[in-house]
Amino acid sequence: MNTNSNTYTVVYSTILVMVVAAVLAFAASSLKSRQDDNVKAETISKIITAAGLYEDGCDAKTVYSQNLVEAFLVDAAGEPVGKLAEGEVKVTSDLKAENDNIKAGKSVKLPVYKFNVNNEVITVLPCYGAGLWGPIWGYVALKPDMNTIAGVVFDHKGETPGLGAKIATEPWFREQFAGKQIAKNGEVVAVSIIKGGAPKGDINAVDAISGATITSQALDATLKIWLGQYKEYIAKCAQPAGEDCCEDECECETSENQED
Amino acid sequence: MDANMKETLLKPIFKGNPITVLVLGICSSLAVTVQLQGALVMALSVIIVTGLSSFVVSLLRNTIPNRIRIIVQLVVVAMMVILVDQVLKAFAYSVSKTLSVYIGLIITNCIVMGRIEAFALGNKPIPSLLDGLANGAGYGLILVVVAFVRELLGSGTIFGLRVIPQFIYDAGYVNNGLMILPPMALILLGCVIWIQRSIQKDLQEK
Amino acid sequence: MEYLSLFVKSIFVDNMIFAYFLGMCSYLAVSKNVKTANGLGVAVIFVLLVTLPINYLLNKYLLQPGALAWLGDKYAALDLSFLSYIVFIAVIAAIVQVVEMVVEKFAPALYSSLGIFLPLIAVNCAILGGSLFMQERAFANVGESAVYALGSGIGWYLAIVALAAIREKTAYSNVPAPLKGLGITFITVGLMGIAFMTFMGIKL
Repeated sequence: MNTNSNTYTVVYSTILVMVVAAVLAFAASSLKSRQDDNVKAETISKIITAAGLYEDGCDAKTVYSQNLVEAFLVDAAGEPVGKLAEGEVKVTSDLKAENDNIKAGKSVKLPVYKFNVNNEVITVLPCYGAGLWGPIWGYVALKPDMNTIAGVVFDHKGETPGLGAKIATEPWFREQFAGKQIAKNGEVVAVSIIKGGAPKGDINAVDAISGATITSQALDATLKIWLGQYKEYIAKCAQPAGEDCCEDECECETSENQED
Repeated sequence: MDANMKETLLKPIFKGNPITVLVLGICSSLAVTVQLQGALVMALSVIIVTGLSSFVVSLLRNTIPNRIRIIVQLVVVAMMVILVDQVLKAFAYSVSKTLSVYIGLIITNCIVMGRIEAFALGNKPIPSLLDGLANGAGYGLILVVVAFVRELLGSGTIFGLRVIPQFIYDAGYVNNGLMILPPMALILLGCVIWIQRSIQKDLQEK
Repeated sequence: MEYLSLFVKSIFVDNMIFAYFLGMCSYLAVSKNVKTANGLGVAVIFVLLVTLPINYLLNKYLLQPGALAWLGDKYAALDLSFLSYIVFIAVIAAIVQVVEMVVEKFAPALYSSLGIFLPLIAVNCAILGGSLFMQERAFANVGESAVYALGSGIGWYLAIVALAAIREKTAYSNVPAPLKGLGITFITVGLMGIAFMTFMGIKL
C-alpha cells in the first residue's frame, strides 16, 4: 500500500484521532467519579483542618460528618437559601463560580459549615480569589461570637514555591490568625495582612510573608471581599435571639456580650 | 537473541543512561526531585509512558505516513500521558497535585520521542517495549538518586519520615536549605555525571 | 502596571530555565556558541508568543469545565479538560509547521537564520510548559497570556545567550576530565540559577 498518498494520510489521521478520542473519553468518564471524590475529600479535610478537628491519620469524611451540625447556603443579605445534602461540600470550582458572581454583582449562594467542636459551635466560611499566578482559596473558622478566629487554612494553585506558596505550608503563618478578630467597632473588616509585620497588639492584623508581596496582598483582598459578603449573616448571628437565621444555635445569642 | 535482550535492558541503566550520557529528558523533571515520593511517581510514570508509547508506535511503524510521522508520535505519547495523568488523579490525588504540570510535560520529554525515533521505528514491538521501559528506568534511577540526596540533606527526611535523629539537630546541625532550591538539582546532576565519568573513562569528552 | 509586573516576574523570578528547568534539552545542546543560541532564543520567543494566546482561547472556549456554555445550556456541563495536553501539543506542532512555511516564503533571510531551529521547537518543553502554566494560572484575558508568553520567551532567550557566552569562555578552562563538557555545564547552569534567585524578592 502507498503510505505516502494524500488519501491514505487523511484516512489514517482521521482513524487515529477517532481511536485516541474514544480511548481518552472512555478513560476520563470512567475515572471521573473517583477524581471528583478525591477533590471532595481534599476540600473536606481542609474544612475540618480550619475547624481544628483534623488529626494526622484521621478519616476526614467520618470526622466531618460526625461533628457537622449543619451545612447550608446563605445569600448576601444573610438569609438562608438552601441546604447542602449529607456529605456535600462546595469544592474549589464552585467557589470560583460564586467568586465570579460576586465580581459581576450577581446574587450569590455562599456555603456555611457549622461544627460542634468541644461543645462550641464553630462556623467555617470559605474564601476564594486570584493570587499572583493562579487562584488562592481558604477557610476561616469562627468561634461562637462570630468574630474571633478559631483557625484558618489556605491553599493555592501555582504560587511561587518558597514565596507565595508558603501561605499553604508555613505553620506560623496559619497559626498567627488564631485569636484575631474579623470585626472592628461592630464592622466586619476581616484580617489585614501587613507587609513588614503587623503592629503589636493589633487584633485585626497579621504579618505577611516576606518576599511574597503580591500573594499577601491578594489574600488580604480575598479575605476582605468574602468575609464582606458574609457580613449580613455574621451580623444576624451576632444579634440576640428572635432572629431565625441562626436557627437552632443559641450560641449566637451570647456573642453581643463578648464582642465589646 | 537473549543476549540482545539483556543488552537492550541493561545498557540504558548505566552505560548508555539517557540523562547522563545521551543528555535527553532533563527538561520536565528536575523540579520534581525535592522529595523522593514525587520523584518516584514521576519515574514510574515516565517508565510506563516510554514503554507503552514505544510499543504502540512500533506496532504502527509500517503504517505511519511519513509526512505526519512526528504528529502521529506526539498523539500517541500525549494519549499515554493523559491516561497516566487521569489514573494518578483518580488514585494518587495528593501526588498528582504536587507534580502538577510536570506530568503533562512528559509529552515533550525528549527521552520518549528520542527512543521512538531511534529505536521503536526500526524494531519489533517487544524489544521496543523493553527498550522504552529500560530507558525510562535509567532516567528514573537518576531522578531517584538526586531526590534522595536533596530530601535527605534538605529536609532531613526520606519519604517524609524523619531519619536524622534529634540529637544531631541538638548538637547544632541544620538542614541545608539550599538543597531545596531548584538550582541544586542541576549541580547535583553535574556531580552524578562527574562520578559516573570518573568510573567510565571512555565517556569523558575531548 | 499589572502587565509590567507580570512581564518582569515571568522574565526574572519565574524564569523558565532557572526556576522550572523547561526546555533544558535544546538549551544544553544549542548553547555551544552565542550565534546559534541567539537564533534559537528568538525562535522560542516567537513561537511562545504565537501559541500561547491561541491555546488560551482554546482553553477558555473549548477545554475548561463549562467552557462550551457559549454553544448553549446543553453543553455547559461538559468538561473537556482531559483533552488539553493533546490539543495544546497539536496546536504547537501545527503552528510550528505553519510558522516555518510562512517565514520561508516571506522572510527568506530570517528563515535561513531561524529555519533549522523551528522544527526542534515543537518538542521544546518550554513551549508546552508555557501553555500548561497558562492554564494552571488562569490568566484573566488574552493580553495577560501574551505578556506572559513574551516575558517567558525573553527569560529563556536571556538564559541561553548567557550560558552560551559562558561556555565559549569555559572551553578554554582547565576543567577536571570527568566534568568536561556536560558536567561543568550543569554546574554552571546551577550557579546561574542561584544568581537569578536574587530577583526573588523583587517588588513592583
